[in-house]
Amino acid sequence: MFSKFGYFARETATSLRRNLLMTIAGVLTVTVSLFLFGGVLLLSTMVDHGVARWQGDVDMQIYMQPDATDSQIEDIRLALDQLTQGDLAGVASFTFLDKPAAFEEFKELFANQPQFISSLSDPEKLPTSFKIVPKGAAFTEELRLSFEGRPGILRVLTPDSSVRFLIKLRSNVRLLFFAIAAVLLASSLFLIVNTIRLAIFARRREIQVMKLVGATNWFIRIPFMLEGLVEGALGALLAFFGIIGLQKVLASQVADANDLFSAFYVTTGDALSIGWSVLALGAVIGMVGSAIGLRRFLEV
Amino acid sequence: MIRLESVSKTYKGSVSALRDVSVDIAKGEFVFLVGPSGSGKSTFLRLLLREELPDEGRILVAGRDVNKLAHWKIPYVRRNMGCVFQDFKLLPNKNVYENVAFALQVIGRPNHVIESQVPQVLDLVGLAKKSDHKPDELSGGEQQRVSIARAFVNRPLILLADEPTGNLDPATSVGIMRLLDRINRTGTTIVMATHDEGIVNAMRRRVIELDRGAVMRDQERGVYGIGS
Ligand SMILES: Nc1ncnc2c1ncn2[C@@H]1O[C@H](COP(=O)(O)OP(=O)(O)O)[C@@H](O)[C@H]1O
Ligand SMILES: [Mg+2]
Repeated sequence: MFSKFGYFARETATSLRRNLLMTIAGVLTVTVSLFLFGGVLLLSTMVDHGVARWQGDVDMQIYMQPDATDSQIEDIRLALDQLTQGDLAGVASFTFLDKPAAFEEFKELFANQPQFISSLSDPEKLPTSFKIVPKGAAFTEELRLSFEGRPGILRVLTPDSSVRFLIKLRSNVRLLFFAIAAVLLASSLFLIVNTIRLAIFARRREIQVMKLVGATNWFIRIPFMLEGLVEGALGALLAFFGIIGLQKVLASQVADANDLFSAFYVTTGDALSIGWSVLALGAVIGMVGSAIGLRRFLEV
Repeated sequence: MIRLESVSKTYKGSVSALRDVSVDIAKGEFVFLVGPSGSGKSTFLRLLLREELPDEGRILVAGRDVNKLAHWKIPYVRRNMGCVFQDFKLLPNKNVYENVAFALQVIGRPNHVIESQVPQVLDLVGLAKKSDHKPDELSGGEQQRVSIARAFVNRPLILLADEPTGNLDPATSVGIMRLLDRINRTGTTIVMATHDEGIVNAMRRRVIELDRGAVMRDQERGVYGIGS
């Protein structure tokens, strides 16, 4: 058994060295495609975290025009008041943020950009708003529709709409990146198939002798399978480190960013679990590639 | 040991290579398969090795019907058969010892078996002193001896030789035939395809003559051609 292991290791190493350029090309394509694949997973994990935070927070806000008249504001207040009455009404509670309060909120939101705050010369230009706590996330859309377009209203901001936008953006971007990754994965598969075919061709004499003296098909195949596996796994390993590195970069970016973006975090744990699946995928690509490369050829 | 029952073989888009061949070869026999080029000698050997399947008939090797063999069992049956070819089929980047050892390595024999068997068989073929030479440093006769050593190192029951002297001069061929004779005396059944008249006539062994795929003659202690 031990001598067999030594034999397979030697044969695989020899073959990898003999086709060095093809080997490198195969490994790097696997690396790039798996890195892209893992990177997309990492980014969408980030967005998932952010979305999760925002979805828990269903508060909505109705911004009035900066020049809305007092009576317009009063109309909205009355309408909201009515919506707090009765079982079917959607509003749990609401508060009015006047101009000083709006300025306070503005300062809080941009606390880490003081020059931006000082650039706002006139707090009077900030819109006043109603902060509304709906009775449930289900009511936000209904409330938005009933207020949007009323006189004096600038816009109705529901967390849902921004979350929906983000989710849509995420799924589109994810789809695009997955498509690119899929094309790259397919090409790395072809490269591995090709490397294996070349390796088989380079060793056709050996294979002929092996068949004649009664080596089993598996014995003949194993060095080639290992060759594909090593290529796939080596490429995946590089991608693995790339993904861990990407996580470090993203994490430090988020740490520097303001409150709004701190929800978008990725942990080393996330990167590791993506990394493991990328490693497994690389190994599978290597094995499948060599299996395809070996098909037909080694019929008895 | 070897038995063909009404075996016929036609390659795709070709005339029939073997026609209704029935032959029985006992253990320990030395058989010459003679006939002009294209008469079906190589096809005969390929069928025994299960490199080809016959269209009709049954082929038994060491009691097994090789045509009914499951795919995965084919290699194990081949381990009972050594084969030698006109072009030696040695691996140019391995030396003599490695070429012979390769045959044992790839069927998973342990190192201690390889280390004892290879020198022994190299001694038998008279190449013990050249075990670290590469094939291109050897004469044709020496190369054929290496290929015989490789075929015999696993002590097969049967040795198949397809024109083993086809590339060698007569004097060298005599040496090869002496070696095959020695191997035959160890109880190994030998089937050798050849169209070398001199050798066949000198050896006086069983001769099976093929002509366009059909058995023309099957004669104990025969000569190459009738009347020669
Ligand atoms: N792989 C093949 N495909 C098609 N025809 C073949 C093949 N091998 C041999 N033949 C044909 O079968 C016949 C017998 O060939 P072969 O067994 O090689 O004869 P020999 O070894 O006696 O010269 C010849 O007519 C040859 O052309
Ligand atoms: Mg022939």
